[in-house]
Parts: sequence; structure tokens; C-alpha cells
Amino acid sequence: MKRIEINENHFDLHPSSAAFWVEKKTLLLADVHLGKVAHFRKNGIAVPRKAEGAFYEKITLLLNEFEVERILFLGDLFHSFQNNEWHLFSAWVKQQKAAMILVEGNHDIIPASQFEQIGLQVVDHFLEEAFYFSHFPTEKEENFIFCGHLHPGVKLKGAGLQQLKMPCFFQSQNQLILPAFGAFTGLHLLSPKAGDHVYVTTGKEVMEIEGI
Amino acid sequence: MTTVRQWFKAQGWTPQPFQKDCWKAYGEGQNGMLHAPTGSGKTFALWGGIVQEALKVKKHPAGIQALWITPLRALAVEIQQATQRITTELHPDLNIALRTGDTSQSERAKQKRKPSFGLVTTPESLNVLLSTKDHPKSFQHLKVIVVDEWHELLGTKRGVQMELAIAYLRSFLPELRVWGISATLGNKYLAREILLGPIENYVTVNAQIKKKIKVKSILPKNMESFPWRGHLGIHLLPQVLKLVQKYKTTLIFTNTRAQCEIWFHRLLESDPNLAGNIAMHHGSIDKKIRLWVEDALREEQLKVVVCTSSLDLGVDFSPVENCVQIGSPKGVGRFIQRAGRSGHRPKAGSTIHFLPTHAMELIESVALQRGIEQQQIEDRIPFLNSYDVLLQFLMTLAVGKGFQPKELFPIIQNTFCFQTLDEERWQWLLNFLVKGSQSLEHYDEYKKVNILEDGTLKVLNKGIAMRHRLSMGTIVSDADLKVRYQKGGYLGAVEEWFVAKLKPGDVFTFSGRNLELIRMHNMEVIVRKSKSKKSRIPAWMGGRMSFSAHLSDLLKKALFNQRNQDTPEFKALEPVFYQQQRESIIPQPHQFLIERFQTREGYHTVFYPFGGYAIHEAMASLMAYRISLLSPITFSMSFNDYGFELLSDQPFAKDDFLDNNLLTLNHLNEDLEKSINVSEMARRRFRDIAVISGLVFQGFPSKPIKAKHLQSGSQLFYDVFKDYEPDNLLYQQALEETFDHGMERGRMTQVFENIASQEIVWRDCSQPTPFSFPLITDRIRSKLSSESVEDRIKKMYLQLEKAGQ
Repeated sequence: MKRIEINENHFDLHPSSAAFWVEKKTLLLADVHLGKVAHFRKNGIAVPRKAEGAFYEKITLLLNEFEVERILFLGDLFHSFQNNEWHLFSAWVKQQKAAMILVEGNHDIIPASQFEQIGLQVVDHFLEEAFYFSHFPTEKEENFIFCGHLHPGVKLKGAGLQQLKMPCFFQSQNQLILPAFGAFTGLHLLSPKAGDHVYVTTGKEVMEIEGI
Repeated sequence: MTTVRQWFKAQGWTPQPFQKDCWKAYGEGQNGMLHAPTGSGKTFALWGGIVQEALKVKKHPAGIQALWITPLRALAVEIQQATQRITTELHPDLNIALRTGDTSQSERAKQKRKPSFGLVTTPESLNVLLSTKDHPKSFQHLKVIVVDEWHELLGTKRGVQMELAIAYLRSFLPELRVWGISATLGNKYLAREILLGPIENYVTVNAQIKKKIKVKSILPKNMESFPWRGHLGIHLLPQVLKLVQKYKTTLIFTNTRAQCEIWFHRLLESDPNLAGNIAMHHGSIDKKIRLWVEDALREEQLKVVVCTSSLDLGVDFSPVENCVQIGSPKGVGRFIQRAGRSGHRPKAGSTIHFLPTHAMELIESVALQRGIEQQQIEDRIPFLNSYDVLLQFLMTLAVGKGFQPKELFPIIQNTFCFQTLDEERWQWLLNFLVKGSQSLEHYDEYKKVNILEDGTLKVLNKGIAMRHRLSMGTIVSDADLKVRYQKGGYLGAVEEWFVAKLKPGDVFTFSGRNLELIRMHNMEVIVRKSKSKKSRIPAWMGGRMSFSAHLSDLLKKALFNQRNQDTPEFKALEPVFYQQQRESIIPQPHQFLIERFQTREGYHTVFYPFGGYAIHEAMASLMAYRISLLSPITFSMSFNDYGFELLSDQPFAKDDFLDNNLLTLNHLNEDLEKSINVSEMARRRFRDIAVISGLVFQGFPSKPIKAKHLQSGSQLFYDVFKDYEPDNLLYQQALEETFDHGMERGRMTQVFENIASQEIVWRDCSQPTPFSFPLITDRIRSKLSSESVEDRIKKMYLQLEKAGQ
């Protein structure tokens, strides 16, 4: 885990690809893509169902590790139309004490009313103190932005012509892009510039990487 | 009524013995295999028999009686014309139709309403026919299926597709005759057995046509400047220009489409007089342009054509006098085939000029010449247990008539590919289609194939059926995007990943023109002509081929045999050999050479087994794996036909390597298997498997269909199977293919047995040697590591984008 400070607030970047806002006891999750496996299966593509269960295992560990009062989903919570995964998710939501907010993403085509019915608040974006939370990367002069959408990754290089592609938290001057939390989601490689901070996650550790 | 013989006479032709043999055998109701080169009259050898028999029948039923399968669409047109000509003259009522991916919807409908006597088609289109509900009726009169250029299909998954189709057709047409036509192969018997299946009434006919083939190496004037690496060969352009001037028509064969584009450009640049007399031909160029080039070649309107394997096959280009091969052809068979493109006139010999792109390829030139002298043609290794192709075939039946698993199982087992398929794995495949898993899952909405009341497996969902129909066919490539001028006019297709690297305004070279990208729109790349001199050349995937076993043997012999020392090639190589010997040695048959040196990039350890690319790819992983057990280390590996390189950021000790006897034959298969798992070599294989088995749906540029939220890369599937379902047969297939097909298990054992009898020579060198150069400069690499990801990352960095980019 890696703790970073932005505008006098503290954020723990967790190896599971989540981030925890310490002062507000808020868990940030981007691009969960729930129901993606089910959606593929419904259309005749046999992705192993076990891949879907990964979400509940991962989040249970997080809820045990942090004292979470609120969960903020940064978009693409569900991959496509409603399917059976929805029932699993709503059953899970009922058991939770934490409040939940969904910042809508491009994949979230399930009507907001459905989410609201099971107790999630749905918003286009979310503003709190100096922080702006959205699904898409954007630019704001006054706020620091937290977002998802890209499934960011970077290519690392090393001696002996070594290369690795890893998911990462990608921080530029005014914005932090979170890695995708969902399994079976893929990577989009970004090219960092001088001044960017890249925190790679291996699933076990979060490590800041130097650029040259 | 005239007979085929009389028709031949009327043309002023004399039937050749192999043609007469085929007519006779066909008339007797035999199956068979004809080995004959392109341009020898092989089409008439088979079609003659078919027409002869048809002449005996007074009234022909409406329905296809003869199927002619050809691997290339371009060939299909030629075959249709040739067969139609003889048929029309002997029996004016019988028609031969053509059906390929290019056939229009209305033409297909017409063929369905009014089936012709003969049908020329491709393996993919045959599968499309099998996906129709009433195919048993449309094929009820089928008497014969001819598979042309079988050597091109054998050893590919399209070959497996043919095996399945034939076994299936036979199941309801027990009298069906099967004939194959193939160029000479190393493993002729196997080739016949695979196509004809387990039958007894067959003949093998060999056309005794020997052609004189002359090979000449194109040598540089000054060896000092000859590059040690490289794959373009542009430095020899002046010599090639001279050859082009000397002959009436020249074909220049390149190994990749990118190389083809570059040569075309450079030739035109250095001799502007060639404008109008030069053309280019490769698989990504629009069909219309390709057909135009082929016609112009035949009509002697072109002086030179730069091409890839797209002109390897069929299509008789009599005016071609000269062929130039740029870079290694990777096999004696392919080289002979290409050389055969020239001198088609009766009794004319063929000349082919070999242009080595780097010094080591000169040795190869000598090896190729010896191979041709000894007629050492390579084997084609067939696929075994290609579950991906089988799943696709089952889907093809399921979207049409449906199938009864119990009835189909023995038919599948009758093919060569699936001879060892057992009940358990068959059930696995059926479960995969019906349930999408092996156990009953709660709340699962998996939907693909349904079981009807009578036990028939059939697809009921229209969307699933449509997606399958659109993605049928086993040839795999990246999604292709059409390249189009803004004002209209198609130029061809490029693969998506190339365009993805371009920004609007960028200039790239395609189809011999410099084009500026305007935008991408609906799977189309919109471009305009550009005057800019600077441009990018598209690189196409799939350019890697391995040396055949024969060629690597020949290569070793060429290097060791004293009598070669006097060849012009070896004379030219003297400075290179001198440098090699100064730093290291030229290994003799009893020596196994390992070189170690350090550069800015790290520690290079280079091994020279001379076993061919496929062997070295596996061997590199194996050695890396064994070394990595000694202590945590990460390797980046490269391989070519001569040897392989292990590059690491820290050296491993020579003594550790030698003392632990890491080149041992013991535990070979076990270690290989583990190294395949660790190195993820199978990942690349999985790409094809995912597409063929229908996991990855690509869609088609010409038929945009809704596949919302269903796009996903094969790599993601690979990871998911690896993590959550490692016993999945498709994942297992990727491992097995790497094991069997990529590296030919038997050969690997031989290589290690050979090493056991050799003296191991480890040379510490002060700088890279000529032999090592092509290896250490290769940027296509695999990796294997026994370090933790975290430890590796600690040593790594990010390449920052420079300001202004």
C-alpha cells in the first residue's frame, strides 16, 4: 500500500486497485464491470464464472482492512444490461452498512432508478471539498480530479531489454486515474510525462516508479 | 460424342502419363492422390476423369456432383474457367459455378435455386454450405470432392477443417470419392492418409516432371560493407536493378508485406523509367488491383512485380523469365515452388536469384542449393486434437440442421486429427457448447446450443447463429480496415493495430503510394495522396516462419563441408569468418558453441545448436528455465534459425552452468512442459484458438453488426482461463500446440542426444561476434523469469514522453 497526500488529504492506494480516502473514510473503486462475465455467457461465450466472484472476495478484504463509511464507484459499475449478476449485487448491497454512490460511466446503461431502488445514490459527478469525482478524465481549474474509465497501465523498462506491462494509479498535476477494479477488464497503456506520478500495482504491492 | 482424349488431340496436346493414369483410376471409382507441380496440367488430370464419367450419363439430376476445393480465392477463378472450358466443349449443358467469400448474395441465391454440375470453392465456403439446413439434400448427388494444393492446407487448421468436412460428407455419402492434388512433400504417405481417410481403394499418381533449377546468389562487390544483420537487403539494389534490365519479366519474392512495399518503392525511386512497368502484389492489396497485376503479368505488360507468398501458388505466368528471392525462403519446398514461377515454357529451366539480406544467409544459399540437388523436400506437420476447429465445426452443424452427438462422435474419431478423441473430452466439448462449463451452475444464463427433445444439438438463438456465420473460417488475422480515398476508390486493407498507431496527418506507405491519414470511420481508413517523402511502412504480422528440419540439417552440412569452401558464397564470406574466428570459433560438427559477452544492454549468452527457429524457441525457454532454478534471474530471449540468445541484467556463472550439466537429456519433456508454462509461450498460440473457437468475435468491416459490449482480446481470455479454469481444453490446446507443433518433440530429443556427444565450447568474447549479431539485434523477444514481479519492478523505470511530442 502507498499513502499519498493531495491538498492536505490522505489517500491510500491499495494493491487491489482501490483507493481509500482516509479523512472521509471513503473507498474509491473504478471500472468494476460487474456482470461482464454473465453478459458474455448469455451471448454464448463461455468465460469461467469464477472470474466474476473475484469482486466480492476483493471487496470483503477491503472492508475488513479499512473502516469504510462510504463507497464511491467511479463509473462502469455494471458492464451491460441487467442479468443475474444484478441479484447477487443487490443482495450484497443490502448487507452493507456503508453508503454507496455511483458516478455514472459510459457502460452504466441500467437506469439510475434501479440503482436507487437498491440504495445507491446515482450522480453524474460528485464534488466534495476540493475534489471532483467523475468517470471520465477531465480538466478543472479549481479541483483535483479522481476518475477511471481508461483502465490505465504503463510499460516498464529495465536492463537486459526487460519490459513489463502493469496496471497503475496514474497521477498527473491535477488528476488521479484509478486502475480498473474488475477482473476480466484489460489495460490501456499510457505514456507518462515529466511531473506525472505512476504507482504500479502488482496485486501484492503498490510501487512508485521513476521515469527517465 | 467426343471424349477427353479426342479433345486433347483437338487442342494439339498429348496426354501425359500421369493424366492418363488419373483418368483410368477415376473411371474405376478409385480415390487418389496426385503429386504434380503447378502448371503441369494437373487440373485436366482430374477434371478429365470427372467429365469423361459425366459423358456416360444421359440425364443429369439437378444438384452438385463435383466439388473442387482450392486454398486461394485467386486460384478458384482460374480453375473455374479451365474446367468450364473443357466441360462446355464436351457437354454444353453442364455448368461449373464459383463460390468464394467474394461471391455476391444474388449469385449465391441463384446457385441455390439452380445448382450446377460442378462447384469450385474454398474450405471456408464449403463450411458455409454445411451450415445450411438442407445441405444433405443439396449434396445428395455429390460424387467426388477434389482438394487442390493439399500441401498448402495440410499442416494448417484449414486442413483440419477439410478433414472434418470430408469425414462428415462421407457419413451420408458412402460412395463419395476423394482426390487430392499436392506438390511433392517429404511425408507423402501421411499427406494421403490424412486427406483420404482410413480407406483401401486408392491410388497414388506421381507426375514425373523434373525441372532444372539454377540458383545464383547475388553477391556484393565488397564484403567489408556487407551487413551482419538486417532483413531488407536494400544494399544490393543496384545488382537487382541490373537483373531486372536483363530479363523480360522478373518476379521479386519477399517474405513480408512490409518488405514488399519497401522494395517496390526503392526500385521505383532508383529507376524512374520503371514507372508503369512495375507493380506490387500482396495479400492486403485490394482484389481488383491484384487481379489487374495478374492479368498484366500474363499479357507481358510488366517488367517486374514485387510480391509475397501471394504469388506462390497456381496461376500460370508464362512470360516470367527470372525470379529473385529476397532473404531466406525458410524451406527447400517453398524455394522450389518459387523458382518454378519462372520458365514455365515447356522444357525451359528455372532460374532463381537468391539475395542474402545478411552475411549468415549466404551459408543458407549454399544449403538451399544442396537441398535442391538432393530433392530434400520438407514435411508438413499435421495438427492433432484441434479442439478449436472442432468446436467451430460443431457450431457450423448446430446453426444449420443440428446434430446427434452419438451419431457424430464416431465420424469425428475417424479423422486423423481426432483419432485419439475419447468419450470424456467429447463430453467436455458438448458441455462447453451447451452449458458453457463442466458443472451445473446456479443462476447461470449461458446460452449457445440447445438440446432438442430428440437429443439433437441445435442453435435456437438467432443472434448466436448470426455471429457464428459471420466468423466462420479458420484463417486468423487482426481485424482488417479498408483503406479508401476520400473521394472514393479502395486501395486494400491494413490491420487495425497498425492504424491505431497513426494520428490524422501522419503519412504512411501503402500499395506503393504515400498516403496521408485523414480519419478513421466505420472500419475504414480515409486517406489522400501525400507528396511527403517521409512515411511509415505498415508492418504486417505473421512474417515469422521457421526453418524446416531439412534446411537446418543442410545448413549444418553446408557450414562443415570442406567442398563448399570454394563456392563464391563462402569466398565472399571470408572476412566474416575471419572476424568470427578472431573472437570465437566456427563450430565443427563435434563442437557445441556457447558465447558470452557484455554490452550496454546486459549479459548476452548465445547458443548455436543450428536446429531451426521452432526448436530454438523452445530450447531457449528450456535453458532459461533450467538456469533460473539456480537463482532468481530474468531472461529476455531471441532466436533464429542458427541459435538463440539469453540476455540478462546479471550474469549467470559459466561454472554453475557447466557443473550442473544443464544441457542434459534427462527430464527433457518435464522441463519443457514447465518452461512452457512459466514462459507463457502458449499465449501467442492462444490468439488463433480464441478466434477459431468463437471466444473472440471480430466482426467484419463489410458487415458491421451489433456486438455491443462483447469485444474482448484473446489475451484477457488466456489470463482468465489460466487463473480460473486451467483444465479448460482450449487453454490446454494452446500448451499442447506449443509443445507438438511448434517444436516437434522428436526433433528436440535428437538435438539433445547430439549435444551429449559434442564437446561444449564456452567462449568469453570481448565484443559481439558476426554469428551472434542477427540474434542480439532482434527485437522480437520472449521472456522468462524466476524473480518476483516486485523484485523485477524495483529495478525498472518508465520511459517518459519527451516534451513537444
